[in-house]
Amino acid sequence: MILHVNHLQPGVAAAAGATVGSLLALVEEAGLDARLLASLRLHLDWIQYRSNFRDPVSLRRAEGADGQLLTLAEIAVDLRRPADAPAGLRRALRLLGADADDVDDRLWLEAFVPLRDSVIWRFNDLFWKRLTDWEAASGRGFEQALPSGRSDANHPEAVADSVADFWTLLRELDKRGGLPAEIFVLEIGVGTGTRAALWLDRFQALDEERGTGYYPRLRFLLGDYSMPTLDRALSAVGRHRELVSVLAMDAHNPLKVLSFLRYKILSIHLTNVYDNLAVDELVRRDGRLYLVEARAYLAAETAARIAGEFGLPAASLPTTIERLLELGPEVLGDRVRGAAFWRQVWDGLRLEERLRRLAGPAEAPLPPGVQVEHLEDMLATAPDDVRFHISRGAAESFANTLPLLHPRGYLHVQDIFVTSMEEYRHGFRGPGKLDGSVINWVNGAMLGAVAARAGYDVHFAPFRYRPNSRTSVLYTTQRD
Amino acid sequence: MPMLVTAVVGSYSMPAWLERAKNDYLHRRITRHDLDEMHDAVVKAAIKDQEIAGVDVITDGELRRDNMIDYFTERLPGVEVDHTGKKSFFDFASSVVRGRMPTAPLGLVPELTFLKQYSTRRVKVSITGPHSLVKRIRNEHYPSDEAFALDNARVLNLELKLFVCAAPTEIQIDEPYYSGFPEDLGWGIRAVNALVEGVQARIGLHVCYGNRYGKPSWEGSYRYLFPAVLDARVQQLTLEFARRGEEDVTLFAEFKPPFDLGLGVIDVKTHDVETPAIVAERIRQALRVVPTDRLAVNPDCGLVHLPRPVAFAKLEAMVAGAAIVRRELGGA
Repeated sequence: MILHVNHLQPGVAAAAGATVGSLLALVEEAGLDARLLASLRLHLDWIQYRSNFRDPVSLRRAEGADGQLLTLAEIAVDLRRPADAPAGLRRALRLLGADADDVDDRLWLEAFVPLRDSVIWRFNDLFWKRLTDWEAASGRGFEQALPSGRSDANHPEAVADSVADFWTLLRELDKRGGLPAEIFVLEIGVGTGTRAALWLDRFQALDEERGTGYYPRLRFLLGDYSMPTLDRALSAVGRHRELVSVLAMDAHNPLKVLSFLRYKILSIHLTNVYDNLAVDELVRRDGRLYLVEARAYLAAETAARIAGEFGLPAASLPTTIERLLELGPEVLGDRVRGAAFWRQVWDGLRLEERLRRLAGPAEAPLPPGVQVEHLEDMLATAPDDVRFHISRGAAESFANTLPLLHPRGYLHVQDIFVTSMEEYRHGFRGPGKLDGSVINWVNGAMLGAVAARAGYDVHFAPFRYRPNSRTSVLYTTQRD
Repeated sequence: MPMLVTAVVGSYSMPAWLERAKNDYLHRRITRHDLDEMHDAVVKAAIKDQEIAGVDVITDGELRRDNMIDYFTERLPGVEVDHTGKKSFFDFASSVVRGRMPTAPLGLVPELTFLKQYSTRRVKVSITGPHSLVKRIRNEHYPSDEAFALDNARVLNLELKLFVCAAPTEIQIDEPYYSGFPEDLGWGIRAVNALVEGVQARIGLHVCYGNRYGKPSWEGSYRYLFPAVLDARVQQLTLEFARRGEEDVTLFAEFKPPFDLGLGVIDVKTHDVETPAIVAERIRQALRVVPTDRLAVNPDCGLVHLPRPVAFAKLEAMVAGAAIVRRELGGA
């Protein structure tokens, strides 16, 4: 058995030691098959997100391409919840070596699928499409649910610096006679519209102060796939509305809506968009590559409680949840009651994972713009044993955004990035739950590969405007 | 030859496997011999594709080249090249010139003879012009970029003459860096003239807004080329219009240059394949300004960044579009 400890938070050493002791005692008691024991890995994780898709103890089995169970197995323990570990460990060892489907304590909501296809992303979509219903039920705006209680997008100093940098770019272009008649700026994922409003206020003031006359030439585009969000953002920009256009767009492919602006946009900004797009995860163990597959479930106890509270038969919950995801909170007739149901299901939602062995990197489900050799390059710099994101939604969005950039334009992305593969060794990077949405750290190394292919270099700078912020700023420069 | 001669600008689609092989060679995972064999095979395929598409003037697809700079700096006598910072074949190696460049051939003639061996079509070889090369090579010897470019042109001039001795060919000089440094245009054109001095071939000058990584490096109007470009001793100026719109074609009416126009009718920066009707309309628009016998038809730039099926389909559309207009004009 191999023990992985990715991070030891102060004060949990004793709990970690006790967990290992418990497991070994249980292994001895159960007389675990020697082959299984030799291939067993115990992962003691510090889960950053208090709300996530894991039980205190999770068992991950591995399967070959033919569906045959392999001896590799992982038991992952969330060190935030050590008190629940012994029961979970006992359950995991009972299932290890048996048919993992042979359980009656879980209500499955889907079959095993690659993480990108899990039902959790449909919940995520519902959250953004029916944000007002969620916020009405929770009693707070989604930005208040962020760890810092507000979005880093709206930091006045950061916005002021962004405006100053942009004005400098315009000035340089102007001096060389290369400033376009219309100055296009794009923000994807507009939040409450606060950043756009701050940015435009600041830009107008700077332009007037310096007498450059750029402000009236601005064409400020707000793109989001949530119409309620766009409506809210348009209200927020107030007196700048004449310069602002809102565009319903899928963040995965801004080019689809804006192809007429290919190579014309001078500045594109996104905050906390990529961390909310679908991912896959790959795992390398003993030199072999595995794809993480997941299936969502509610613990039987949770399902029974929710069913009882809403007067539904427990067996009908999967159907009701499916209808919720299709129709929204009206599914129970009353939106308020439906939203309450939605929030409880989301709160109880968990993922069981398994590892599907891949024959090699060429079998990995890579997003557009990422080649097998990029994956090989990433693996070459990664720890031998590593679990990491294929940030496929982010990579797709990134690859479909870069062609919009004017040759002198740039892309700024504020988000939570893993900037080197080595960092994956040091902690759990998602998926977590953020209010009603899904959050994952973004594989910055992968975006670097996508950018290089498209003719850009990417750089990462810490977000220096809020102490202890985990946010980084990705910015592009034209590749030589 | 028919009116509205069709041609490629230079490069043809590079297969992903060749990109991998070039990287493998860069990192010494395969031998030069293996890579050369792949180059021969892929060049034959590129020739065949261009012929089947019906292009009148073809190239070898430039598929032996890592990129438009290194292929020349590695061969220019007196230029020192450092590959250590080069992670991908497509990256530019750093290079420096520390003394006067000696006169010596670059060894490019076998490219042409190989092309002629496998095709009976009119052929073209393209070379990166002195201005673009000077912008990429660190100059530690010459008193100015212009002096360096003129001496560079002297060395390259020998290669052009060797091409002409080896086989009948057209020659294209690629100068995309003009668009990034319009202030250099005066001496840039003088360098081109030094380059073509005494070369008995049809010479074209290709100026675009860059195609590195399949995206433009600069934006603007071709107006900056005029009137300085009128002094270029070339027979054709090949420009990109499909992506940027035809507005700048009117510069040919305004300045009435002594050379033909190579009209870019295929956008090489998008995978969307033009229809023959769109190509025909682009040609008709240009014919309002440029006489039929002064107009040739080509893509905006090289096709290297396009997948092969897209590149091939675009060439077919170009040829079909030109044929539509030829028929309208009563030609073959």
